[in-house]
Amino acid sequence: MNAVVPPVLEGLYAWAEKVEYSAVGTAIAESRYLFVMIEGLHLLSLAVAFGLLLLVDLRLLDAALGGVPVARVLSQLRPWIIGAFMLVFVSGGLLFWSSAARMVANPAFGIKLVLIALAAINALYFELAVGRGMAKYADKSVTPRAVRFAGVASITLWSLVIVSGRLIPYLPSWIEGAIP
Amino acid sequence: MSFAAALDVLQNSAVAHVISKSNHLVGAILQVAHIFGIVLLLASLVLATLRLLGWTLVETPVPVVAREVRRFFRIGVTLAAASGTLMFIATAKLYGVKPVFGLKMALFAAAVAVHVLLLSRVLRQENPSQGAARAAAILSLGLWIGVGFAGRMIGFV
Repeated sequence: MNAVVPPVLEGLYAWAEKVEYSAVGTAIAESRYLFVMIEGLHLLSLAVAFGLLLLVDLRLLDAALGGVPVARVLSQLRPWIIGAFMLVFVSGGLLFWSSAARMVANPAFGIKLVLIALAAINALYFELAVGRGMAKYADKSVTPRAVRFAGVASITLWSLVIVSGRLIPYLPSWIEGAIP
Repeated sequence: MSFAAALDVLQNSAVAHVISKSNHLVGAILQVAHIFGIVLLLASLVLATLRLLGWTLVETPVPVVAREVRRFFRIGVTLAAASGTLMFIATAKLYGVKPVFGLKMALFAAAVAVHVLLLSRVLRQENPSQGAARAAAILSLGLWIGVGFAGRMIGFV
């Protein structure tokens, strides 16, 4: 536990160690079946959340669900996508609880969080600035540029979130001597 | 040839050697491809089954929703099956003997059977009976979710 922590990360790493070694963190990490069930929930809810969002994004790009109007796709899939993403975040939070120090020490996890933040900003920008006006161009045959851009950004960012998440066990820790 | 011998042949095949002797990143790429396959497969299935249950896109007929997602479902299944097969070949002796791997394959076989015999037929009907729609949706979704959970467990148990 004599980790060589860069000064910038000292406070964060100390906090993460407390989280990981808390009663709940230890309980999740040590319960084989609970941990595996949460892993499964994280994977499957992420598949549904990102997959449905992908279909919506492809609809914005006129590459999927062509038989259903854009406004209908947006309004009717939104609650399912938000619900699935909530499951992703809750299960992800529980997984983090059980491995906080290891995650803080992992470059792929840091990159993943940054990408999630960017994807969230893109979603907010779309919902607040672009999506509001969707009704206006619902009848137009050509989707506005801003809408297409938001769709491409969403697909790209969430795909990179998945890649960085999968790389977590493969990248070496950036804190020397951190718990493996 | 016994099951153990078959696993041995697989893991000693040329394909298996190429995968396991290569960089760890090749394994990671296969895993990422597997996840993208699951994303396409599960989201397509969820959208079709939610429509069957009358929980979304109710103004759009069932066969239209089914037709719109079919392409993505097929790409997803193909991607997941291809990447999964390659990963299995490289680690046949390690994972092939695990009961949870057998469980995953049994659930997968059941999911495919339900898909071909029940779900795909129901999805072709303009107004499927509520009983058939519910049975097909719940069975299919439940089995595929089971495949996912069993699959996630393989590396841990």
